Amino acid sequence: MLPKIANVLGILLVAAAIIMFEVPYMRKKGLKKELWLFSILLLLGVGLSSAKALSGFIPTPLDWITAVYRPFSDFLTHIGLIK
Amino acid sequence: MPGQINISARQLMILTTLYTVGSAILIIPSGMALVAKQDAWIAALVGVGAGLLILYLYIKLAALYPQMTLIGMMEALLGKWLGKAVGLLFFATFFINAPVAVLFYLGNFMTTQMIPETPMPAVNILFALIILLAVRLGLEVIARSAELMFPLFILLYISLTVLVVSNVKLENVQPVLEAGVGPIWSAALSFVSTAFLPHIVLLMIFPASVNRFDQARKAIFTGSLIGGFMLVVVVALAILVLGPDLTARNIYPSYALAKKISIGHFLQRIEAIMATMWFISLFFRITVYMHSTVTAIAQIFHLKNDRQLVLPLGILLVVMSIIVYPNVPYQQAYDTKTWIPYSLSLGLFFPLLLLSIHALKRLGTKKNNRPDDKHEDRGEDGA
Repeated sequence: MLPKIANVLGILLVAAAIIMFEVPYMRKKGLKKELWLFSILLLLGVGLSSAKALSGFIPTPLDWITAVYRPFSDFLTHIGLIK
Repeated sequence: MPGQINISARQLMILTTLYTVGSAILIIPSGMALVAKQDAWIAALVGVGAGLLILYLYIKLAALYPQMTLIGMMEALLGKWLGKAVGLLFFATFFINAPVAVLFYLGNFMTTQMIPETPMPAVNILFALIILLAVRLGLEVIARSAELMFPLFILLYISLTVLVVSNVKLENVQPVLEAGVGPIWSAALSFVSTAFLPHIVLLMIFPASVNRFDQARKAIFTGSLIGGFMLVVVVALAILVLGPDLTARNIYPSYALAKKISIGHFLQRIEAIMATMWFISLFFRITVYMHSTVTAIAQIFHLKNDRQLVLPLGILLVVMSIIVYPNVPYQQAYDTKTWIPYSLSLGLFFPLLLLSIHALKRLGTKKNNRPDDKHEDRGEDGA
């Protein structure tokens, strides 16, 4: 458990470094939309990587794409274009 | 921001070559040899031909809106909000399918072939750092570094081909067309889907950020042609030297090819030097993908400054590259079963759809203002 906590701490440290690097500039210039998008993406990234560091298994989003494309890929398999 | 940055046609050509060779040089020969056996090189040639047709489609699209990027075209043709939504969906799915997947290939290549005791996240983080640096510095820097790296890339490529030629066994490609032309189509499709269909992302760079349209159009064609033929030669060499069976069984046949180099038992074990070639091409592939993603997000949300998004996207890139493919069999199944239809829909049907919408719109405007038959819409009329 301890190394996992250390991994999460490392991720948080990286995130903090990125925030210190980018946020002052955006606040000074008043780039509001940029700040919003930056926060959303960073939160998503930190959330995912911490979850990965803690639990080790996250289902891949490719499963959804596979499910959406199943009819088309079945059709292509049927006519012999995909093996 | 697009519009202010300009790269020259020559830079675009080099960037396109490196982008075309990209990840394909590492992974293409294996899948093609699996399907088309010893005829994979014919399939690769067919693939280059089909790829040029696809590029013609993209250039047609670009010529209609010479000032716009792909996102701009979507907004002009589909309407503002639908265009934005489609653009967001396009790049969200593309992000996990393309840059993330290529970074996975790189990490997997390094940890299975070269440094097996290093954990994959370490490799991915290090490689992502240079990519983020390049994307943050912008398109001009990417284009110039492509110019700088290109001679080294060509040198390594030529030395690979020349040094490996002595191992060629002609009987490996015989009998030609043993199984008929059937398997060639499906192998050519897999070639096109990896090497040429992702070129649609170049529309984020090509009409808007290149200074002369005519030269740029030619640059895209020559760049892809050079890159395509480099791939054909690698596929042919893999078949000729390793034979179809061994090519299909290796995940990275071109690396196995480099291991075969042995001149007088003196010049050998230089595959690690050859790997530099793959680092260069993979680097530019991911960098162009990431640059397009960042520009696309900036355009969809009308951002003044897009550099701030690079680092958070970088975290996402690294973490996704570790979780996208749970294992290599999943990756191989995904790449044949889903990536091909996915890239077909994005790279072939989607531009066709955009072109037909444009044609319909022009039909509509022509009917409305009959008198001025000189009316030539260049996309300013919007939705």
